[in-house]
Amino acid sequence: MLLKDFLIIILKLCLIDWGYAVRVKDVMYEIFDGRTTCFRRLNATHQIGCSSKKGGSIGIIHYVETLSDLTFILNNGTGSSYIPVMPLQLLKPSTLELILANNLVNGIVLYNNSALESYTHERTCPNQLSNLDNTCDIAWNPEGTGLLYRDLPFPIHYVNDDDLHKMKQCFTTFNNYSYETHSKRSLCSIELDAFMFATTNTPTCRRRSHLKTNLNPVKFCDPLGGENVWSTLFPMDDNRPSSKTFVVLAARLDTTTLFQSVFPGAVSPITSLVTFLSTADYLKRMVRDVDNYDQNVLFLLLNGESYDYIGSQRVVYDMQRNAFPLKQESDATNPVPLIRVKDISLFMELSHLSKSDTLYVHNTKEASNIFSVLQANNNFSKIETVDGVLPPASIHSFLKERENMSGAVIANYKHTYVNKFFNSIYDNASNIDYRYYNVSEGDYAEIPQDSIQHFTANVSEMLAKSIYREIIGKDYAGNETTRIGLIDELYNCYLLDADCKVHQAVQRKKLRETPYNSYSLYVGVTVVPNLLTYAIGLTLAWLTGNVTNSTMCMKDTHTPLFQYFNMSASMDNLNTTVCYRTTMNFSEALSPAFIIDDYDWKSGKYSSWSESTWKDLSVRMFLKPASAEERFTLAIGSITMIMSIILIYFIKTRANILFPTPEQNCSQSNC
Amino acid sequence: MDLEKMTNDKKLYLCKWYFKVGFACLPFLWTVNVIWFFNEAFRKPKYDEQQHIKRYVIFSFIGSVIWGIIILSWIIAFQVNRAKWGEFADDISFIIPLGVP
Repeated sequence: MLLKDFLIIILKLCLIDWGYAVRVKDVMYEIFDGRTTCFRRLNATHQIGCSSKKGGSIGIIHYVETLSDLTFILNNGTGSSYIPVMPLQLLKPSTLELILANNLVNGIVLYNNSALESYTHERTCPNQLSNLDNTCDIAWNPEGTGLLYRDLPFPIHYVNDDDLHKMKQCFTTFNNYSYETHSKRSLCSIELDAFMFATTNTPTCRRRSHLKTNLNPVKFCDPLGGENVWSTLFPMDDNRPSSKTFVVLAARLDTTTLFQSVFPGAVSPITSLVTFLSTADYLKRMVRDVDNYDQNVLFLLLNGESYDYIGSQRVVYDMQRNAFPLKQESDATNPVPLIRVKDISLFMELSHLSKSDTLYVHNTKEASNIFSVLQANNNFSKIETVDGVLPPASIHSFLKERENMSGAVIANYKHTYVNKFFNSIYDNASNIDYRYYNVSEGDYAEIPQDSIQHFTANVSEMLAKSIYREIIGKDYAGNETTRIGLIDELYNCYLLDADCKVHQAVQRKKLRETPYNSYSLYVGVTVVPNLLTYAIGLTLAWLTGNVTNSTMCMKDTHTPLFQYFNMSASMDNLNTTVCYRTTMNFSEALSPAFIIDDYDWKSGKYSSWSESTWKDLSVRMFLKPASAEERFTLAIGSITMIMSIILIYFIKTRANILFPTPEQNCSQSNC
Repeated sequence: MDLEKMTNDKKLYLCKWYFKVGFACLPFLWTVNVIWFFNEAFRKPKYDEQQHIKRYVIFSFIGSVIWGIIILSWIIAFQVNRAKWGEFADDISFIIPLGVP
């Protein structure tokens, strides 16, 4: 009896083990992270980027190391379609032509393998349609292939090292031999699903998203856009005309690359952004006790500038219709004063500012003394003035509105970008030679003199002193200095660790898992808030705000000019919070094209970029049976079905023989 | 309704009604009429009303064929030119396919 019980228990345990449910599809597929994929964008006339077929594009993996590997499979592949897994440097126009000429390729997987000399898929002249005339006579980005702006008929996926290893292993085990029998055997294949909903151009997809007759309303595309950040050095809360004439210090906030979720942007915009923030910080400390000033400073961080100057076009548009910085609201007793384009006395824009021997000051046509002021305050590098054509920059949007505005673009290049990786995934920390030192405040000895931190500190010192000279009218004589520790920390925030000290200080919380892509320097779409833009805005507020002893620390609705934030007292003292009063605020960076009711898309006046919507971005690997085997399976299934239909027919017609009915010798009730 | 159980004049009445109602842009009704009364009109032994039923069935057939041609050519023209017609084509669409021009 005992033995029997024991056997039953053993049997049950075995069954429990067998009953463990693993779905067939989970056994079949190896699923990878599919987010780093090229996707589709649209402007008023074209679509660019990539899309897979509906339900995913499938191809046999072919691991490529050199161009000859690729040409080999294009010439000798006998399978139905392939997806080459190739190094990033092979993605260039010549290889693409080769692939497109041959119908064998259904998609591309790219991996990162070695350092490159240059890699930029931006155009040779960025934003060529929105610049001032003649800007594109110069090839600013000479290495640019323009691939970012091509419409590609297949998906492109960027793979990380772990996934690449699995793909390579699968390729060696199943594919990498006897290529002539590829059509006859099971092969390791990959499915890239990045099906894009929108096509043709922005007006088409906007129209289709808003159709009233549509039974199945779908949003096809979202306009690119985000928030601009602005702040003033002195509050505009008095009636002095000097507080309403502005020296503008501007920089851009965004970058782009070919792949979703990989937007490093070290040289552009991070070097200029950090220089901007460090200048603002220094300038604020310089003017702490100043009361008499000739001019105010407007700090302006513009978003979406990589896509035909979305942010600056919108700022200019708002200035034209008296809606900048805020829309005039009737209930405010102290409305925010308006800023108009004619209130700008000098426009200083920071472009690429990675380490270099010489700085270049690109002047506008309208002459200003800014170069001589900068030169007088420069004690660390050569500085040159460049007249003539301005490089592509946000200032173009302002100059279109007011041709005789004086200004300058400060950059480390004269006619061609020093940065060989503009708007690419290689524009990362190593491209600007950055290393994080994690020093405490005041102890900068550890950071070498030739580091990017020191370079940025020197540039911002020069800028801050020059702006001080412009707005106060005399040279700075105090003993405040730039904070290299802050610069080190800011670079760390934007390049390495978003959960850095500055972000903890301004947001008063540790970053948890953030929704993907919300912490990137890509402008994104207006319907999804970009958390990094908010963090940068708060950082500017933290650096340029005044500590107040307001106990409430809350915004007064009648005085919309000021915002109040509880933020850490300093980087070394994150847990003590004080209340900051700041003029920092956000302004919408959505192209005017999307808010003007009867905008003529053909005019090309404003940026018209939008991003297609999609449902899934997924990548999975599996063993695809030979087509003969697939046909065989289908045939077996079909034959079984037809046979069973025939069988049922015969059974039914002969039912009276097969199932004889009993003699009807009983009454209805007792049968 | 089972035609087998119906009287001949009832059949004629029904067939005539289907034919008439078909004029209200309901070609599918004509097609149903043709299929339903085909046996009555052509394969049943002769009876008085059959001549009339036959006529309605033939006219229904002609009508549904004409309609079929019209609908088919519209479908072809629309599908071929949908992208080219742009805004007009979108306005008269109830469902817009994803990811195609």
